[in-house]
This record gives sequence, structure tokens and C-alpha cells, in this order.
Amino acid sequence: MKKSKNIELKIIFIGILLFFLTFFLLPLLSVIQKSVVDSEGVTLSHFAEVLQGGSFLQALGNSLLISAFSAVVTTVLAFILAYSIQYTNMNGTLKKFIRTATILPMFLPTITYGFAIIYSFGKEGLLTKLFGRQLFHLYGFNGLLLGYVIYTLPISFMLLQNTMHYIDKKFTVVSRIMGDSVIRCFFTSVVRPMLGTFAASFIQCFFLCFTDFGIPASVGGKFEVVAGVLYNEMLGSIPDFNNGAVVAIIMLLPSVVSITMLKILEKYNIRYNKVSEIELKKSKLRDMGFSVLSIVILTCILSVFAVIFVIPFVEEWPYRTTFTMAHIRQVLSDSALLSVYGNSIYVSILTAVIGSAVVYGAALITARSTLSVKCKQIIEGIALVTNTIPGMVLGIAFMLSFKGTPIQNGFIIIIVCNLVHFFSTPYLMMKSSLEKMNVSWETTARLMGDSWFKTIVRVVTPNAYTTILEIFSYYFVNAMVTISAIIFIAGAKTMVITTKIKELQYYNKFNDVFVLSLLILLTNIVVKGMIQFLANRKSNNKTKKEES
Amino acid sequence: MLKLEHIKKSYDKTTILKDISLTIGDGEIVSILGPSGSGKTTLLNMILGITEIDEGQLYLDDKDLTNTPMEERGFNIVFQDYALFPNLNAYENIIYGLRNKPNVSTMEEVDELIELLELREHLTKKIDQLSGGQKQRVALARTMVMKPKILLLDEPLSALDGVIKESIKERIKTIARDYHLTTIIVTHDPEEALTLSDRVLIINEGQISQYAKPEEIIQEPKNKFVRDFILNQLEIKKNNIYSLFHTEMETAVAYQVV
Repeated sequence: MKKSKNIELKIIFIGILLFFLTFFLLPLLSVIQKSVVDSEGVTLSHFAEVLQGGSFLQALGNSLLISAFSAVVTTVLAFILAYSIQYTNMNGTLKKFIRTATILPMFLPTITYGFAIIYSFGKEGLLTKLFGRQLFHLYGFNGLLLGYVIYTLPISFMLLQNTMHYIDKKFTVVSRIMGDSVIRCFFTSVVRPMLGTFAASFIQCFFLCFTDFGIPASVGGKFEVVAGVLYNEMLGSIPDFNNGAVVAIIMLLPSVVSITMLKILEKYNIRYNKVSEIELKKSKLRDMGFSVLSIVILTCILSVFAVIFVIPFVEEWPYRTTFTMAHIRQVLSDSALLSVYGNSIYVSILTAVIGSAVVYGAALITARSTLSVKCKQIIEGIALVTNTIPGMVLGIAFMLSFKGTPIQNGFIIIIVCNLVHFFSTPYLMMKSSLEKMNVSWETTARLMGDSWFKTIVRVVTPNAYTTILEIFSYYFVNAMVTISAIIFIAGAKTMVITTKIKELQYYNKFNDVFVLSLLILLTNIVVKGMIQFLANRKSNNKTKKEES
Repeated sequence: MLKLEHIKKSYDKTTILKDISLTIGDGEIVSILGPSGSGKTTLLNMILGITEIDEGQLYLDDKDLTNTPMEERGFNIVFQDYALFPNLNAYENIIYGLRNKPNVSTMEEVDELIELLELREHLTKKIDQLSGGQKQRVALARTMVMKPKILLLDEPLSALDGVIKESIKERIKTIARDYHLTTIIVTHDPEEALTLSDRVLIINEGQISQYAKPEEIIQEPKNKFVRDFILNQLEIKKNNIYSLFHTEMETAVAYQVV
């Protein structure tokens, strides 16, 4: 009787296993192989070559330095924003604005940030013009720092905000009644419970900066980072795949360490049995102070993006600044560019649809099946490991292992790559949502005559609807903005917007870059809005929770 | 008649149940009573069919059901947390099984159940708009629509408070009587077990301590466990209540004497 019970889930499990063996394990092995094999057999000569050329070690040092520095800055700024929302009585509209504006950069590819920084702070930049002088030298460290901070702020903000939301605010009251000073109260009831999350935020931001390709591609200048070296080894003027593979593997190390540390930190998170809201102490000074700080931070970020809305609408920046729709019209009438946009949409929709299905299947196995613990551990392991692999490494792995195969120049390879690259987060979202559902549903439905499949359709899926929409939009937005992996596998016919932007940079066609970036932004906002609408319509009967 | 013969169960060498044998008559309400960890829920799950029986036999009217899959046994259960489907409203939950087996109950029968359980005014409500007692009744109706041969109830009263508890108790009795339905209830509360059922199965450490009518248990507790844990608890409760109602009790007794 047990044998036949889980047949559907077993098929799903085997399918997922084969999928990740083919599109994850195998490609990774081929990178490793490339790094240690030459015409004569196994060798470490590639490693020696890369490490002895002093420029790589320099780039590695630069990467570690800038990533760590950016991660600290980001975490501090994100803390101010999160604190403003959770611990002050500032105006509700302002809070809403902070929530929205902080995560806005997520809707744009990182490569756009770089160009936006150049057009804001460069010699002829918008902000340079406004201030009458160049504020800082932007290529290299400063530019990278600014770009990385903008890139990682949304993620850090969401992490910190979430933990802060679940801190039991009653501890503030207890601390005050016990006679703690303001500073001490702040440390015991806010900073202490946040320590784990601070560390998590630092590590997460560090990982993102260290592995990002878009920002150094645009504002890196002479400040070499690992991502740049990797790109040049693989797609530069003198490609060397063996050395590239070595760089990829070295890039993997800090990533693996980061994620391992995150995993360990999870265990130290303080969990409160109960979240109780209290009335915050009235303090006009505090509210004003944090309002001003938040507005300053967000103004800085949004002003960088202002150029995206300005440059495409003027005749020729910075010389002729009269308003024109000519650039927009020109892009919209350029069939080559439009087809690239079409490609992006196509890839993103398919990634979202197939991705959601794979994630759903995987989460059903771990959260709602009686399959053996070993099967569940394998799925968990896949989620964990895919999370540690930087997009660039994955892209290179795909490029090396699918060369000469029929899928090499097709869309399928890009879609599959996105699917693997972004698997972890939606999987964890889906799993936690399925785990929260009543454990007896399947048994109850079976007693009412449902087959397993019918139960999934009639009961589980309708109740997972909101989460399914969320993971759909997660996949969609990420597929729209990603560049690091697919830069290595997008072919001439399968160009998507982000890879096209990289190409347009080469021809200095920045009007087109910004128009395309605007298209990505608008598309993402529209899709997000639609998903939000669908989700709200579904849950409008339920009491709305105050949650971002 | 449900018959269990020498049922055994163990997980990873830990014995949960050892040698359970008993019979339950048609239309009887039987409570399985025991402290947590005594194996009472495992026993219920084995009767239902989610948990496999290691050793021993399970018969219904002399038909061996030991290896029959859960869905073919024709039993049904109301879980402790009800397991109602929140994407459906109360009525849709009640008729859930009719989609698969349209002929199991007629619309008149469904209507009768709704009437009996006083659910008429709650039918269009969402699950999270229902109170605990209402959820319990919806879950009961949903199960009854399937016309189970045996009704299993897992801690049916533990999530309910005071007055509701008593009214659901009556409801369960009514259903068992009206439908002549064998009902098996798991509980850890002696008062509940002894006031609700025709017979009580007391298990402790995987074995039957006593299986008897409530009055027999009170008058002739079979062993120390029954005396210490079951009777003692009731005794304390009784004394508390008596001391609360002290004067009234005396007058009541006085009247009775007269």
C-alpha cells in the first residue's frame, strides 16, 4: 500500500534530480575540469599562471576590500531606513515612500546603475552640472562603492526590516522600566536582537558585490576586480578558458564561505514567541531626525537614477538640452532593439512559468510528502548549493559544457540558466508557505475520495496561490535584470536587453541604453503591479496584515 | 463490530503499542483515554489506516482490513485542528466529498446534517470567520456526508472552551445515536471520556489498563494507574466543585432526602 502512494512525487523528484544533474552538477564539473586539465593531462599550471601574474592577486584584494567596505556602508544605511519604519512615529506616507523607493533599484539591471552614475557624477553629468563641479572621482573605488551600495541596499533593507518587525517591542518597555538609559535600552532591545541579522546582511551584501558583473563593467575603470578579470579571460580580446576556469573557481571560494556562514548564523537568530506591538514613546526630535536622514539617503539614490528619466528625453546631453521624444521614437522603431525587448519578455515569462513549476514540485517534496528524509535532504542540498554559485561562474559553466550542443544558441539554455541561478530564494519561500499549511489536508482529502493530484489541484494550490504569484514575479523580475550569467551564453539571435546594453556600451550608444533600461523598469513595475493586484484580489477577504 | 487482535506497533525499536486486543460494538461510542505518549493517537491512526500495523489483525464485521488502504476502509476522521480547507467556504467544505462520490449522500441528507449541526446561517462564511465550535461542526458535517462506517475523532473537545464543549459533546452523542454510528474518540481528559462514551479504553505505556463502562471504571478501578491518575483527577475536580457549591449541594441533598 505504501508503494503506490507516492508515485507522482517520486516522478517529480527524479525529474528534478535529473534536471539539476544535467544543468548544474555537470556544468560545474566541466569548469573544474577545465581548470586542472591541459593537453598533457591533470595539471596545476593554470592555477600557477593565474596566481603568479600579480594583477590577479591585486584584483582579488580589490574585490575583497570594496565588497567588505560596501557591505558595511549598505548595512548601516539600511539600518537607518529600517529603524525609521519600525521604531519611529514618522508620517505614514513617508514610511510607505521609504518602503517603495528603497526597493526600486531591484527593478533595474546593475549595469544600468553604472551608466547612471557616470551620467550623474561624470564630467558632463547631470549632478555635476547642478552642483557646478565634479563631486568626486567616479571611476574605480568611489563609483563601485556607490553602485554596490545602491545594488545591495534593497536586500539589506528587507532583511533588517523583517527581523526588526519580529522583535518583540515589549522588551523596550521592560528595559525602560528597569531603569536603562536610552543608549542601553537601544542596545539591549534593538541592537542585540539584530546582531545576527547585521552579520547576515553584511555577508549577503558582500557576496552580491563580490560576484556582481554589471557595476564593474561600467564604472570599474582601472580598479580591477575579480568579476572583470573573469570576463576578460573568457570573452576578452585574448580569451583563455583554462585561466578563466581557474578564476571562476577562486571566485567560488568566498561565495561558498559566505553562504556557509549565513547558514550557521541562521541558528543564532533570536526567535520571539510572540510579537507584540506597543505604542512607541513620543519623540518629535527622533521622528524628525530619522525622517531627514531617510530622505537624504533616498534622495541620493534616486538622484542617481534621475538621469535615466532625463537623458533619453533631451536632444543631445549635455550640449542641447531641449526636450524631445526622438530617441524614444527611434528605439521603438528600431526593429532590432524591439526584438531584443521581445526576447527579454519571452525569456522572463518562460523562466517564471517553468521556474515556478519546478520550485513548486521541489517544495511539495520537502514540505508535503512522505518521501524519505534522504530525498528531502537532496532537494535542500540543491537549494543550498545553487545559492552559493555566483551567476558568472554558472554562466561560464554553461558556456563550457554546452558548447556544440543543439541548445548552445537557443533560448532554452538562457531560461534553464536563470532557473538554476535563482532557484534558492523562491524555493525557500514556497517551502515555508507549504509547511505552514495544515498537515492533515492530504489525509482528509484522500478520505473524501481525492487522488493525490486532485488534492493538489483542489486544496493545496488554491491555498498556495499568493506565494505562487510571488515566486512567479521573483523569477520574472530577476530574469529581466540579470546579466552576470547570461552574458556568457546569449547568442546573436538570443540577445536580451541586459546583454544588449553591454554591447551598446561598446558603441557609446547611451541614449539607447537608457531607453532600454526604462523599458525594463516599466515592464517590471507593470508586472509587479499586476501580480500585486491578483494577489490582493484573492486575499481581500482576509484581514490585511501590516507587512511589506 | 470492530475487532482488534494482538495489535503491535514500534518505531525504530521503541515499542509504542504491545498486544492490544478489543472489540467495539456497532453504534458504540468508545473513548481512548491515556496520558500523552501512551500510544492512543497511534492506535487511532492504525484504525484509520494512515499508520501501518506491524503485527496483529483488524476486522470489521469479520472482514480482515489489516492491509486495506485507508481510503478503502470506509472510515473517516475529524482531526484535532479540523483540517478545513481555507480556500473553500463552510458549505463547500461540507460537500467536498460529493465531487468524488456524488451518490454517497443525497441533498436531503446533507440538508439534514446542516440542520442537525445548526450550520444553516454559517454556510457562506469563510473558514477563518468561523469560531472554534463552528469549525468543529463543519468538520463533523463534512465527515458525516461521507457516511463513514466508523467515525474517528481526534481530541474533538480540546480546542474548545467551556459551554461550547458541553454542547459539542451532546452533538456527538446525538449523531452516534441517530445514525447508529460507531464512534471512536481520542482524549486525554478523564472527565470528557467518562461522560461522553459508552465504554472507555484506558491505555498506558502501550497496554490496555482497563476497558470498561464508565461506571465500572469508577466503581472497580482495575489497577493502580487507573486509581492514581484517572480516579484521583476526577476526585480532585469533584471536591473542587463541591466546595464551590458547598451550601447549595447540601440543600440539594437535603431536598432529595425529603
